[in-house]
Amino acid sequence: MSEADAGLQAGGGLVRLFHVTKSYLAGAPVLRDVTLELAKGEFVFLTGPSGAGKSTLMKLMFGAEQPNEGQILVLGRNVARLGPAGLPALRRRIGVVFQDFKLLTRRTVEDNVGVALDVVGVPARDRKARVFAMLKRVGLHHRRHHHPLTLSGGEQQRLAIARALVNEPELLLADEPTGNLDPQLTLEIMDLIADAAARGTAVFVATHDHALVSRYAKRLVRLEGGAIAHDGAPPR
Amino acid sequence: MSALAQLRSAFANTLVGLRSSPVTSGVAAATIGVCLLLAGAFALLVANMEAILARFGDELHVVAYLEPEIAPAKLDALMERALAQPGVETVAYVSSEEAAERFRRTQPERAALLDGLDENPLPASVELRLAPDQRSGEAVRAVSETLAALPGVAEIGSGNEWIEGYAQAVALIRSIGVAIGTVLALATLLIVANTIRLSIYARRDEIEILRLVGASRSYVAAPFLLEGLIEGLAGGVMGLVLLWSGWLGLAPLLRGGLTLLIGDTTPSFLSAVACARLVAAGALLGLAGSAAALLQSRESRR
Repeated sequence: MSEADAGLQAGGGLVRLFHVTKSYLAGAPVLRDVTLELAKGEFVFLTGPSGAGKSTLMKLMFGAEQPNEGQILVLGRNVARLGPAGLPALRRRIGVVFQDFKLLTRRTVEDNVGVALDVVGVPARDRKARVFAMLKRVGLHHRRHHHPLTLSGGEQQRLAIARALVNEPELLLADEPTGNLDPQLTLEIMDLIADAAARGTAVFVATHDHALVSRYAKRLVRLEGGAIAHDGAPPR
Repeated sequence: MSALAQLRSAFANTLVGLRSSPVTSGVAAATIGVCLLLAGAFALLVANMEAILARFGDELHVVAYLEPEIAPAKLDALMERALAQPGVETVAYVSSEEAAERFRRTQPERAALLDGLDENPLPASVELRLAPDQRSGEAVRAVSETLAALPGVAEIGSGNEWIEGYAQAVALIRSIGVAIGTVLALATLLIVANTIRLSIYARRDEIEILRLVGASRSYVAAPFLLEGLIEGLAGGVMGLVLLWSGWLGLAPLLRGGLTLLIGDTTPSFLSAVACARLVAAGALLGLAGSAAALLQSRESRR
């Protein structure tokens, strides 16, 4: 058994990164020797300057990228060893939210949320009820027949959060979820994310916004030059 | 995920794709339609030529003209040996009188030729009809050679030598049809594959989102395969309708021309099974084009 495998098996975290290094096409490493653990239901903020590797760290967690070195264990699965069917199965247990929303612009609000239920084969009747309940939770039920481009930025992000949470994921990854929103909308969105954490979902939020960290964070991970410069309570 | 739920979802996604790019989808279907129109036209030509060949095949026979005054025992032995030849289905004796009667019946305008003669010049003969699977120039030649060597046979005639050339012409047209059909099918496959690739590229953001929420490869691929299948089916039906329309216009002219050349004959359209095969070929082309596009597409495999 390798040192990495032994390290992975030693703990019981929801997400465990063990000595992870990632670089793109012969460039300097974007992430260097990152070791990190997220527990079930934990609400963690990830900060750092642009280019510090925040987005890459997120991508590694949902299998959009593979590490050059090290091991990543997410929800008990080694991401690097997942087969063609394993990765989709893992992603169904993870909610992901991006700064640019990533919505299906040709589908209705209802279908944008429903698509996450479609891929897991939820029957049509249950789908309708669950989509409605989720849209009500984010305050968009009255706009369920509209298309995303007719919504405001804040509403679009609420829709993206609804899609990410409708399958009741064990882990929510949010990469700069409020980057395009004004302060008032930012608080609305962060309240929704904090609510998910309160319901037991582990939440990992990448942000530049120090005000958010001060307001919400109990644990802060700070990346600098691809390495972890701080992991613990946010500095006062 | 249940197969039914996946199918329902794939259909919904397919409709979105078809609605979002009606022009490219239409072009793909029309390309398949034109390809199948040409392939169908060749199939129609070959089918009708084969029908004519089969009709003349029924009449294909070998005639052994007998020496005058052949003894009955010798005739019986000759007929027995003729019937024993491979490929010979029936053997019939035609007396000199029957030959004269047949001549008068089939060529009444020339019947007077016989009336002026003191004796019947037509020899008695033995007519051999070949089994359907033996009705070829080669089989006729083989039977003729064997018969010519039998005692009591004066001369061999078949009068159907042109059949061999005609059969070769049918085979040639069929080969040309297959060659042109193959080239057209490959060209169509490329066009359909490129159309679907454009569709995949246009929907790459949607595919990324599907991947993000945990869609499997088959879930992502199914709408594109269905799209190709639907375009192929539409193209197949389009090709068939065009072929039928062309047939309605041309059939009367063809019937007139053929009647002049080979007597009363009615050209026929493709059988129901052949029509179904033509439409199925369109669906298969569309499906194969989509599969090729998906294999090449980076977006659908990420």
